[in-house]
Amino acid sequence: MLYLSWKFTNDMKTRFLFPHKYRLVGWVLAIPSCVLMLLVLHAEFELKFLYFGKGHSIFTSDGADFLFNIHRHNFTDEVGSLLLIAGLLMIAFSREKEEDERTIKLRLESLLWAVYVNSAWMMFSIIFFYDTLFANIMTYNICTPLILFIARFNFVMYKERKNLKNAGL
Amino acid sequence: MKNTIRVERAILNITQAELAEKVNVSRQTINAIESNKYIPSTVLALKIARVFQKQVGEIFILEEGD
Repeated sequence: MLYLSWKFTNDMKTRFLFPHKYRLVGWVLAIPSCVLMLLVLHAEFELKFLYFGKGHSIFTSDGADFLFNIHRHNFTDEVGSLLLIAGLLMIAFSREKEEDERTIKLRLESLLWAVYVNSAWMMFSIIFFYDTLFANIMTYNICTPLILFIARFNFVMYKERKNLKNAGL
Repeated sequence: MKNTIRVERAILNITQAELAEKVNVSRQTINAIESNKYIPSTVLALKIARVFQKQVGEIFILEEGD
């Protein structure tokens, strides 16, 4: 069962985090859906069973861009991106095995770092990239903040463990 | 802020890992506090002081500029 703890405990644990074991679930969801989304984006891959059609419309879309107006649509990209975001969220925001107040600080700092880097990259892209290339970058931007955060936070935690080893205690 | 945790640990003859376990944090956190890279919360400072049976002010000392 998924649960989020809504209160601070005596040990100053953060609110709104998943239990540690959800990290593994996150990887299991994120890796296949990431591959799926790359195929969707760059090879126009579609899963046939996610094809939806009703009525006699011969058009893939009647200029309808809202769920309840759709006549024909393939939902591969929708399902893929939802699973990808869900998986990345679980990887990013699961508790550490040894969670304490310093982990909270390192996590929030990594989040701040990720938002800054992502925004800087966005500003750069707005200035230098146009049309399809820019649209692709914006598509990637659906998950880049989370990916940047995951990379940064894991790097920081790795450095922590390495420091401890060097301290030799 | 500086602290005397390393000295106090030597007096009690306990390792960073043992202190970490007593106050329910990771070893990394104790190591970071000892090397002045992390300032603990009030709760954690009080817990550490309790392990050494001293006042918080004897273990954590303000420095010029704090």
